[in-house]
Amino acid sequence: MREYLVQTPHSIGISIPNITASCAEQDDRELVSASQSGDQDAFAQLVQRHQRRVFNLVFRMLQQYEEANEITQETFLAAWQGLPSFRGDARFSTWLYRIAYNCCLKQLEQRKRDKALQAAIQAEHLLDQVDNEGHANAELERQDCQKLVHKHLSMLPAKYRIVLVLRHLQDMTYEEMAEILTIPIGTIKTHLFRARNLLKERLQSFEQEWKTRG
Amino acid sequence: MRCSKAAEQLQLYIDKRLPLEKMRLLELHLSQCNSCQQALFCFEKIDQALCHMEMVAEPADLTSHIMRRVAHSVQQNEEVHPYVLFQPSLTEWLAALLLATITTLGIILGQPSLRATLPIANGHDAFSYLCINLWNNLMSLNSATLMLAFWIVGTILGVWITLLVAGSEMRALWLKAMISRLPVW
Repeated sequence: MREYLVQTPHSIGISIPNITASCAEQDDRELVSASQSGDQDAFAQLVQRHQRRVFNLVFRMLQQYEEANEITQETFLAAWQGLPSFRGDARFSTWLYRIAYNCCLKQLEQRKRDKALQAAIQAEHLLDQVDNEGHANAELERQDCQKLVHKHLSMLPAKYRIVLVLRHLQDMTYEEMAEILTIPIGTIKTHLFRARNLLKERLQSFEQEWKTRG
Repeated sequence: MRCSKAAEQLQLYIDKRLPLEKMRLLELHLSQCNSCQQALFCFEKIDQALCHMEMVAEPADLTSHIMRRVAHSVQQNEEVHPYVLFQPSLTEWLAALLLATITTLGIILGQPSLRATLPIANGHDAFSYLCINLWNNLMSLNSATLMLAFWIVGTILGVWITLLVAGSEMRALWLKAMISRLPVW
């Protein structure tokens, strides 16, 4: 998840992650500029650089591997088609995540429209699964907090899920999230607050239930 | 500090977004309040669980799928707008017009019947004499050499006009394609 480096050269007061980030940004800028003039090879390099992060963002939002594959492809296609309008005010990755998020929202809307009933059944099934696991002692022993949080994360509303995914999976700051989601930092804080509180409530109620059932 | 205030600040504390002053006050409250400690512990558990989300490997053929769709969209775009790169500027249009006029004049002047209808180069002025002299000189050359000269001049003029009208973007693409096809010694 994180890009680790062997050692930071504190002795000369320079942070390598910052240097690598700015180099990557510089490379991105050059590749974007080449892509804007129609260079598909340059765009392929951009795809290779960002596809894992975009795919993971989409996957965490949609929770379905095949669907995430499709939406990631659509994200990059939309990016290619929108490249002439990309002025470079924001970082390419920021712009790309914004497209990915919008594609996810579109897909979730589509899913809601097309499979309202099916989605409800699926959500119920997920809840049942968690509940059933709560009933079976053997299952309970294997059930850890991490799995539970991940399961409940998938049941959070999209606007809350995205802030948690960006914050924890993509290691983003409040400012970066605000830029991607085009909402004020205050709203980011509120969404994070509510998202974590929802998770906390669900986690606590699960633990409570576990304790009462012995 | 009240518990309600502490609850508001707990998440900012986890995200290290709390100013030092407030952080100290919160830590003081946490050292005295068991329920807020429990809440912090719960948030930290959630935080850790979320931080341990594994990066899922994308499908191996994702890049190739994306690039195939990109290439397809480019192709479709070209079909919809076949002359999207055909954007000559005004200067380029004027230069092409000038070259085309020169070529047309050359063709007209080569035909005696057409030349006679023109007010110039009809055999009685300085321009005519210049043209006739040039023509005679050309005629005195070997016919094979003459054909070669005409062919070269015609081709250059044709390519020149085409490139001028095509616009700078098309010219750059043409030049790039030409250079990539040059043999390497």
